[in-house]
Amino acid sequence: MTSENTSGPHTSGNPKGDKKHREKKLRKESEVDFPEDKEQKHRDPDRDTKHRERPAERDGHASRENPRGDRDRESQGKGKRTPETGTDKGTKRIPRAGREKSHSRGKDRDKDRERRARREEPRQTAQHNLLGWQLPEPAERRARAGSKARAEEKERRDEGSEWGDEERERRYRERKLQYGDSQGNPVQYWLYKEGGERRHKRQKEADRERRHREKSSVREKRDKHSREKSNSFSDKEGEDRHREKRHREGARLDEERHPGDTGRKERSSREELTKRESKDSEHRNRGASSRRDPTSSQEGSCALWYAESLVRNNGKDKDSRKKSCREGSTVWKQALSPGSAEIAEIEKEDTDIENAGTDEYTPCLEDDFEDYEDDFEVCDGDDDVSNELEPKEKIEELPLARKKEIQEIQEAINAENERIGELSCKLSQKRGLTEGEREAETDANSSPSRAPVCGIFMDFATASRRQKSRTQALKQKARSTKLLRLIDLDFSLTFSLLDLPPVNEYDMYIRNFGRKNTKQAYVQYNEDNVDRDTQTEEVETKGVWSQHPAEGTAVSGGSGSGDPCDTGAPKVNTPRLSRFLRAACQVIAVLLEEDRMAAEPSWSPAAQDSALRISDSASQLNTSLPFLQNRKVSCLCASQVQRQTVVSVHGPPGAASDPALDGRHVLCVWDIWQPSGPQKVLLCESEVTCCCFSPFKAFLLFAGTVHGSVLVWDLREDSRIHHYVKLGDCFWTFRTATFSTDGLLTSVNHRGPVQAVEPISTSVYKKQSFVLSPFSTQEEMSGLSFHVASLEESGVLNVWVVVELPKADLAGSLSDLGLIPGGRIKLVHSATIQLSDSLSHRRYEFWGAAQTLSVKFLPSDPGHFIVGTDTGLISHGTRQDLRVSPKLYKPQQCGMRPVRVHVMDFSPFGEPIFLAGCSDGSIRLHQLTSERPLLQWDGGTDGRAITGLRWSLTRPAVFLAQDDTSCIYIWDLLESDLGPVAKQLISPDKLVAMTIVGEAEKASGGFLALVLARASGSVDVQFLKRVWAAPAGDELGRLRLLLRGAL
Amino acid sequence: MTSTTAASLPIGTAEGLLETEKNAGESENTYILRPVFQQRFRPSVVKDCIHAVLKEELANAEYSPEEMPQLTKRLSETVKDKLKEMGFDRYKMVVQVVIGEQRGEGVFMAARCFWDADTDNYIHDVFMNDSLFCVIAAFGCFYY
Repeated sequence: MTSENTSGPHTSGNPKGDKKHREKKLRKESEVDFPEDKEQKHRDPDRDTKHRERPAERDGHASRENPRGDRDRESQGKGKRTPETGTDKGTKRIPRAGREKSHSRGKDRDKDRERRARREEPRQTAQHNLLGWQLPEPAERRARAGSKARAEEKERRDEGSEWGDEERERRYRERKLQYGDSQGNPVQYWLYKEGGERRHKRQKEADRERRHREKSSVREKRDKHSREKSNSFSDKEGEDRHREKRHREGARLDEERHPGDTGRKERSSREELTKRESKDSEHRNRGASSRRDPTSSQEGSCALWYAESLVRNNGKDKDSRKKSCREGSTVWKQALSPGSAEIAEIEKEDTDIENAGTDEYTPCLEDDFEDYEDDFEVCDGDDDVSNELEPKEKIEELPLARKKEIQEIQEAINAENERIGELSCKLSQKRGLTEGEREAETDANSSPSRAPVCGIFMDFATASRRQKSRTQALKQKARSTKLLRLIDLDFSLTFSLLDLPPVNEYDMYIRNFGRKNTKQAYVQYNEDNVDRDTQTEEVETKGVWSQHPAEGTAVSGGSGSGDPCDTGAPKVNTPRLSRFLRAACQVIAVLLEEDRMAAEPSWSPAAQDSALRISDSASQLNTSLPFLQNRKVSCLCASQVQRQTVVSVHGPPGAASDPALDGRHVLCVWDIWQPSGPQKVLLCESEVTCCCFSPFKAFLLFAGTVHGSVLVWDLREDSRIHHYVKLGDCFWTFRTATFSTDGLLTSVNHRGPVQAVEPISTSVYKKQSFVLSPFSTQEEMSGLSFHVASLEESGVLNVWVVVELPKADLAGSLSDLGLIPGGRIKLVHSATIQLSDSLSHRRYEFWGAAQTLSVKFLPSDPGHFIVGTDTGLISHGTRQDLRVSPKLYKPQQCGMRPVRVHVMDFSPFGEPIFLAGCSDGSIRLHQLTSERPLLQWDGGTDGRAITGLRWSLTRPAVFLAQDDTSCIYIWDLLESDLGPVAKQLISPDKLVAMTIVGEAEKASGGFLALVLARASGSVDVQFLKRVWAAPAGDELGRLRLLLRGAL
Repeated sequence: MTSTTAASLPIGTAEGLLETEKNAGESENTYILRPVFQQRFRPSVVKDCIHAVLKEELANAEYSPEEMPQLTKRLSETVKDKLKEMGFDRYKMVVQVVIGEQRGEGVFMAARCFWDADTDNYIHDVFMNDSLFCVIAAFGCFYY
């Protein structure tokens, strides 16, 4: 429909629109109003036009449309028209129309209306008005329909049953036809006039609608024909006449209709309703299409204006019918184009043009009407009973006062119109409706009775909204389908917005009531501040520097005071320095000693006095020391290596002087060159019978005691581990034995007094000592690679291994009993040799066990030793029990004699000869290979027992002997092999012990000294005269010759 | 426990968009498949906004059943308005506010969305004090 509307304003809807109404009426009127139909029949053309106009007026918007078309056409024909003038004229004309309307029949009309209204009131007030309004129209329509029905063929009536179906189709066709007609109308008109209408019609039909059915075309032609008839009258009066007739008709019809009114009311109301619905739909369309909006708004004003003009008309009812007729035509013209000025122009035009105009209008109107019809149709189908009811109430919405007024006016108009024609009546109805609509929109809720009407408009609004939303939805749907192709939608993860775990009861309770009856008792703070040890103590720093290579004396130093480092210590070769110092100290000490001796003449005269005849000079060892006073020297021993070192063994003092030393034996190590004091002072619990120094270095002192124990002193020991005693004004260190076999090794130890202690040291045994000694330095190794043999009277010879511990233990040792804490030297029993077995000869069995008195080891072969016995025999033995020859060294005298061989001495010059001194005063010189002695001197000492016998250390052919009468004899074999060359009696201070110290002359410094221990306890050193001290040339060879000769 | 929920949808935005869409849609489709980077829904910014609102509005709030409905509505409107001001162009915002009383019960709230993960996002923030908890979730949906 819309498309058709837009295509052209001239679409002819007339036939269709007409037909619809007509045919509906036809059906009704054929039953009821048949007589009227006949009457109306002759007025057909007139009614036709009128009818055509009616819908145009009813639909304000439709009438809106018309002016455009009108204007178009008129502009074609006439040129220009100004709307302003049109309106002016329109207003002028209205009074005339009003006059016409208030025609004689107007009153009748009113009466009729009132009557009807009264009748309807009991039923429905709403319907009353409605009916009042509408009655004229249906009547008119009916009349029209009747005439139409008659005018049109009977076929239609035949088709009556199927009318509804065909209706639409036909209308469509007709409209098309009409459309074509209307466009070519002016031409047609003239063509018709000139004749051959039918032909022309057909021609045009053929041109435009070939498909068109014959029937409809016939109808169309008839319509046209009737129109043209009226037009053919025309020439000014035509139209008027028609109007007049119509007026009359209307009045008549009205009167005639009265009886059937009641019956028709329903139908008429329904028609009204449908009309209104169509309007609604029209409105809807308008709402939907923005294109129509302006017209719709104009429509309302136009309708109102028309109503007012009617009111005015009402006042003046005296105009002639003709005028009214004319007015009517103008009225509807104005209605068709309310705001425009065409009407005035039309008025001025001659009738021809006017007729043409009307002719043209109709199609226009019909076009719109058809639109309306279409809508109506749609709505008819759509609307339900509920919709049907609403329109009835619509009239209610008008304000009562105004409604009444308008009603009066309209009734008057209707009456007039009825007379003039139905047209005006219908116009007024439409107007009323439009007004109602507008008012409903403005104040919808002013009265309760309007609410339903409101509903209608709400319905309208919602419908439009629905449509809008539908289009919107469609649009969105299209949009979404397009978009969804481009977008991927997916489910997101489940976001956890809030997760509040439930609080358990206890916590809840505590939270609410937990703080009751509580108070803060204490505060704990810094709880986690645990005290830990840190390593951030102050680091003691000291600046120290050093220089490398060390040049000059200062090679290192530092800022610290009192540190040995900082004093630029000169680079010292410490061992060498110590060696030097040791030597130098000794030298200095000796020098000082000599100076002192020189300074103290009291001493020296004594010394000088003491010098013997055999000696050049003599010195006395200072035995006047507090701890040596009143002690007798029992034994003297000289080191074979360090020839100036002498040890003196002092017995217990006669009178108690120091409780710390009382009852103890004291050993003093002397350097003969330092006679002022002993080097070391040793203490011993038991009486020492014999002693000896270590063979290579005199730092070990071995001693045998009467208790059978062997003691060892380590002279290198630090003095601090020993006993300090302050005697006089100086401190003395009394060293106790480093190791003592006392109480140890009872199974092997000596049970009797130790007669002799001898070191065993030869190169042969070095290997063994290597194994035994862990020491690294050659010096120490060599110093310790020896054994010690101890001999007791019963003939038991024990061999001890001297072992040096790698580390001293100040705390003492659990395993090494007998070792002083801090000591490093100990003795390990190595072997026990029973000399008594070898000595017990079958020949000497009656003698019992021989006593062994002394033992000496061969310097050249430490495996061999000789043991002096108390039988005058000297046993020769080996440590490995080898067979040796001779087994015994016998004196020259045969037979057993109780002669004790006390002293024996090997020649220190490597000659395999030894001396043996016997208690019978005989001295034997034995060769190792011969059983009998080389030489034997029996009367050298006059039969006195020899207590001491020593080879000279400087002269191989000189030896010294001591007898028990404290006499010293000097033998010089080169000088005399018969007896001693010199004899020196030592008196009054008896000689107790004697030993010899001396050093072989290297350059010229050789000396030979006798160390004499006197009975008084004094020890003096007698330096022998050079005669006996200084060796003669090739003395050893001469001795050998002597000895060979002795053989 | 009682809780009230209020959600506000800025419909006005949608309609405005529709109008433009209507005009533009006739000629050519003007879909924007991805937001301008600066106008993207940035959860961090939104969170700050929500957080500020929560702190401001609920600083000393106590739960009272009568006031909570209004409070939730007000909060949602406030947040929504603020988000609109932030210029997330072509975004539809849904702001959901839930306020509940703290009585020790457990609460679990979750959300799941059917959306375009590239453009749409959401953020939420929780405020709690002794008497109430408040969850504000803001969802941003891009309108292509």
